[in-house]
Amino acid sequence: MTKRILYQLFAVFLILGLLIGACAPTQEPAQEVPAAAEEAAPAESAGEEAAVEEEAAMEPVTIQVFYPVAVDAPIADILNGYIADFEAEYPYITVEPVFSGGYADVQTAIQTTVDGGGEPPALGVMLATALYDLINADYIIPLDGYISEMDDGDAFVADFLPAFLDNSYYDDQLWSIPFQRSAVVMYYNADMFAAAGLEPPTSWQSWADAAQALTVKDGDTTNWGLHFSSDWPYWLFQPLAIGNGQNILEDDCTVVFDDPAVIEAVQFYIDLSEVYGAMPPGVQASWATDPTDLASGATAMITHSSGSLAGLLAQADFELGVMPYPGKEEGTYASVPGGGNFYIMKGAPKEKQDAAWLFVEFISRPEYVADYSINTGYIAHRYSAYDTDAMVAYVADVPQALDTRDALQYAGAELAVQNLGQVRGIFHDYIQRAINGEMSAADAMAAAQVEADAALADYCP
Amino acid sequence: MISNATRKRVTPLPYLLILPTAVFVALFTAWPVLLSIYQSFFLQRMNIARFREPTFIGWGNYVNLFTDPYFIQVIKNTLVYVLGTVPISILLGFLFALLVNRKVRGIGFFRLAFFHPMVLPMVSAATIWLFLFTPDYGLFNSTLRFLGYTGPENWTGNPNLALLSVIIVAIWKNSGYYMVFYLAGLQNLPEDVYEAAALDGANGWQTLWKITFPLLRRTTLFISTVAFIDSFRTVDHIFVLTSGGPSRSSTTLLFDLWLERFEYQDIGTAAAITVIFVLVLMIFTVTNFITSERKEA
Repeated sequence: MTKRILYQLFAVFLILGLLIGACAPTQEPAQEVPAAAEEAAPAESAGEEAAVEEEAAMEPVTIQVFYPVAVDAPIADILNGYIADFEAEYPYITVEPVFSGGYADVQTAIQTTVDGGGEPPALGVMLATALYDLINADYIIPLDGYISEMDDGDAFVADFLPAFLDNSYYDDQLWSIPFQRSAVVMYYNADMFAAAGLEPPTSWQSWADAAQALTVKDGDTTNWGLHFSSDWPYWLFQPLAIGNGQNILEDDCTVVFDDPAVIEAVQFYIDLSEVYGAMPPGVQASWATDPTDLASGATAMITHSSGSLAGLLAQADFELGVMPYPGKEEGTYASVPGGGNFYIMKGAPKEKQDAAWLFVEFISRPEYVADYSINTGYIAHRYSAYDTDAMVAYVADVPQALDTRDALQYAGAELAVQNLGQVRGIFHDYIQRAINGEMSAADAMAAAQVEADAALADYCP
Repeated sequence: MISNATRKRVTPLPYLLILPTAVFVALFTAWPVLLSIYQSFFLQRMNIARFREPTFIGWGNYVNLFTDPYFIQVIKNTLVYVLGTVPISILLGFLFALLVNRKVRGIGFFRLAFFHPMVLPMVSAATIWLFLFTPDYGLFNSTLRFLGYTGPENWTGNPNLALLSVIIVAIWKNSGYYMVFYLAGLQNLPEDVYEAAALDGANGWQTLWKITFPLLRRTTLFISTVAFIDSFRTVDHIFVLTSGGPSRSSTTLLFDLWLERFEYQDIGTAAAITVIFVLVLMIFTVTNFITSERKEA
């Protein structure tokens, strides 16, 4: 009898022990402290010694950076290199990069952490357009305090290409710092253009004519003049509307869908297929395959992210042209920026936020901006980066890198509004109905406007 | 008297042994479900400052959902998806199992061929299919054209084909998995029943439908439950292939749940969808279990 009770007690303790073992937080950070202090001790040059001593006195701090991988480049390796440089300069800070999937996954991971009552990472790379959702949910802090503490904060901000700061401001405060930025561009096979005696297009009309001329039927298959994906349509579509003089948004509370210029832009997309026969009919779910199709000669032009430049250059055995979309009127052009910014999380302790800012400042140095651009295909987002030796040499070799930057002078703001997910979903829904011929362009945009206005009503009294 | 008391006494050991499981089920299954039920009666939207604190709205979220034509479409899509994937992939799994349940040299290769889609992560499988579905030169379309198909080829961009294309990928992915269960079931069937049937002069068809299939009923119950639940909870390929589009034509319940919770940050609506989701799965599983147990008797 006693034996049995003992046995049962033993079982209980075993189970409890297992549970506690599984749930207890790991104690590793405590062990890292002496290691960090040791590293800080042997300073090399006399000049650094003073700075290092000062920093060694700082409390060691470990920050996490959640980042996505959205392009075909070894982002993890590149970031680890920068982090090693950063930690050498700030020995008391340890940066843990956390790869978290795509942009949506980073945001989801941070949301679930904060909503679940946990401490978010100090720093996250999320879409520039996520701004309002992040502010409304109270996840992020404004960065003006850090900027004003800098020796020359205004110059620091002014050095960023202005198109990339479009979605960083709200309520006259700066909330994010550009990091991996891109733009919508049109890529074309310059050899095909030359062979057909065509010039790069300068208007909607010459664009459509070129696409038509370069469409070749070959038995069962067609080599289309243009691939223009519409499976996630707002981004690639925006430059069409901008090129017709009307962006699809005015401010965070106002979208412009039901407008003659926007409807005409939707109709132009449809006409490229229906009237000119230069593009496959219906919604083209071809974002993933378009670069390959251009590189293999299956199409003469694609609309895509500037981020695909490096991959295209590596694959294409022809002269690759890069330009903004032609606008409707002769000699006008259009583009729209995209990509991700750094956000500092509100839920992180002050010392981690401060460390995160130091990292942002560090990685925004021209030499790192240039290096990141060269290695990933993102557009170097600071003017000073283009003066670095590395960038000068790269641009001499790859002049297209300047074309992507120059496309930005024709850029309008990317769709970033209150309640973005829902408003964007509504726009996608209706523009795809128009493209698939389920509704006329005018009806679709009118319906989208009504629904989007309703979806914005709660946010914009 | 004494012996009676001993018999009635509760022995704690069995309960102690299921305690860890019970704790985990309570913590990770029961508690979230209860929390969702609670939250589903509140208006709470994380991305609107004044709705961040939950407000009680009774059945409001449910009323909104069932009066929203989008949600009705999502329900329809989900039904089509479930009815399109579950029976066909089970049937195919059964047929594949019959095909590879024989002692032939190199049969391992064929078993592997049928099973390998299961080993691939859904995202990789969907990415492969993205290229197979490519209009013009895509393998899927080339094959169909060879067989005389002349219809539209942009499978994932066409509102009438997008849902079908995610169904095709799900069937391709799952049939091999169900085959393995049927194969295991087939190899456990008693030989003597078949000998008796052969003596009675039963033909192959009769043996299959009167003996093999009924004997595999428990396997079928298991597979149909797994398949049904699976059809509700796989969304990865929808993200890769169609993003729920075009015009939401391939948005299923779980995809919609993700949209509401993480894209629209609407916690109340997301909780209501979760409750509906759990209810449907529970009703199915319980009915499935009860009906098949009754047949047993």
